[in-house]
Amino acid sequence: MSDSPYHDDRGNKDRSITREPGSTLDKVDRRSGNSTAKHGDPFLIGDAMTGGYGKGPDILHSCTIAAEKGEIAVIVGPNGAGKSTAMKAVFGMLNVNDGAVRLDGEDITHLSPQQRVVKGMGFVPQTSNIFTSMTVEENLEMGAFIRRDDFRDTMAQVYDLFPILKEKRNQAAGELSGGQRQQVAVGRALMTKPKVLMLDEPTAGVSPIVMDELFDRIIEVARTGIPILMVEQNARQALEIADKAYVLVQGRNAHTGTGKQLLADPEVRRSFLGG
Amino acid sequence: MDFLNALVAFANFVFVPGLAYGAQLAIGALGVTMIYGILRFSNFAHGDTMAFGTAMTIIATNMLLAVGITFGPLPTALLALPVGIGMTILLVLAIDWLIYKFYRDQKAKPVILVIVSMGVMFVMNGVVRFIIGVDDIRFADGERFIITAREFRDMTGLREGLAIKTTQAITVVVAVIAVALLFWFLNKTRTGKSMRAFSDNEDLALLSGINPDWVVKVTWMIVAALATTAGVLYGLDKSFKAFTYFQLLLPIFAAAIVGGLGNPLGAIAGGFVIAFSEVTITYAWKKVLVYLMPESLEPDGLVQLLSTDYKFAVSFAILIIVLLFKPTGLFKGQSV
Repeated sequence: MSDSPYHDDRGNKDRSITREPGSTLDKVDRRSGNSTAKHGDPFLIGDAMTGGYGKGPDILHSCTIAAEKGEIAVIVGPNGAGKSTAMKAVFGMLNVNDGAVRLDGEDITHLSPQQRVVKGMGFVPQTSNIFTSMTVEENLEMGAFIRRDDFRDTMAQVYDLFPILKEKRNQAAGELSGGQRQQVAVGRALMTKPKVLMLDEPTAGVSPIVMDELFDRIIEVARTGIPILMVEQNARQALEIADKAYVLVQGRNAHTGTGKQLLADPEVRRSFLGG
Repeated sequence: MDFLNALVAFANFVFVPGLAYGAQLAIGALGVTMIYGILRFSNFAHGDTMAFGTAMTIIATNMLLAVGITFGPLPTALLALPVGIGMTILLVLAIDWLIYKFYRDQKAKPVILVIVSMGVMFVMNGVVRFIIGVDDIRFADGERFIITAREFRDMTGLREGLAIKTTQAITVVVAVIAVALLFWFLNKTRTGKSMRAFSDNEDLALLSGINPDWVVKVTWMIVAALATTAGVLYGLDKSFKAFTYFQLLLPIFAAAIVGGLGNPLGAIAGGFVIAFSEVTITYAWKKVLVYLMPESLEPDGLVQLLSTDYKFAVSFAILIIVLLFKPTGLFKGQSV
């Protein structure tokens, strides 16, 4: 990207999250998977993904991430292991040069992030994940933007899940505490009734008490049947609630198993759980 | 009695003109602030967009007058305003499609878009002069005053008169309607909310499925309507001259920045701050002070802080002070 004459000045916001201008949104409909489904495929799978940002070097090397219905899948790993990158690859925010991403059996490798949202993926970015100047309720409404039907019942469900949001629904989201903001962010993503929810370090920067509460809420969301794929910095807590866990090291799958298996694995413990 | 006279003189020479001028600046600044908030660049062509809209409205007014249609006591230009708005919308959409879209697709930095808008400004500058000429044009017709100074004096028996021009009253009324409509649109409608979301957090708005092309289009349409309205109101109140509208860019930008770029409420507040600063600093206060001070202290000079020729210096000074000490403006806006 840096070789374009339109970019060589000080850093500014760009639209790096979209691969193309999003005007193609309306052309995508919301059908479920077609017949390309592989037998026994997980609900969401990033299969042997290799790729990196722009024209840069590959960060992921044949990395596989999957989430089953009703399960919580967690990606953990040391700093710089490519955890967030792997999730962004699943969500289409970077080029996957090799490998595929399939949702409900349908190949979505070449869709833009917005098109994946329409297909039923909910994504909560790590930062700037709410509209700070808008009220909590407006944040949720914007989450439901692609829906033309009545979304009041979904909003009621979100309020049931996060009662504090109902209390503060007319307050600007930017005035809330860190934990409450994360709840708004998750609530916003839930408004589309996603088929899968992806969370990028939902507990970054919140206190341990709030973290526990957020984890409880995430488990509750998973119990409603929505598969959850999340990246976590707090490996131990994340592994405790994980049905499936992926340990990435330098963009490669290092260990895979259930959360309990990995917690018990001496090598995983030694290398980054601190013994 | 002296105090009342002072008050009336103040209202006549400072408050009423300031209020009308402030309303005109506020509507202009709203356009600038919306472009900044949603398209993320400072649109230097805004003054000339106003000039184009006004020129179109003047032409439509003349056509209406030619076929004998007037608006009774109100200026005929108000009837022609929708035509002017329509033409301006077509123009800005064409410019966006032809020019700005290219740079958006390149994801060009805002500073590049600013320079592009300066190019557009110069082209429009020429186009407007080509169409309507460079002269001063007065196009206000109908009743000139709601109340003249003489009527006011006869009515109240005061020595000072208070004149209220029809155009001043129209300016304030139209401004209130325009602002109310705009805020209703931004806060209550689906498209309006999606525009605020887009302005707040572009990436997240795109993730939520908000169509950026539509948001950009609607923004241009609203900005064209606001610019034309501001231009016509200013032209009715004073007169139309292409060069004056180009110069209006400075107080309008000052207003938008003082209020906080990207914040509509700030643009309105900023408009009045700039207008009243300009009027109070360039007004000769002798008349008011003579009534208020004991005879021995009465001022000899005009007590005019700055000649009206230097009125733009006021906007400049305020602009620089705000940028130095409070770059996000009075209301929470984006910093420049």
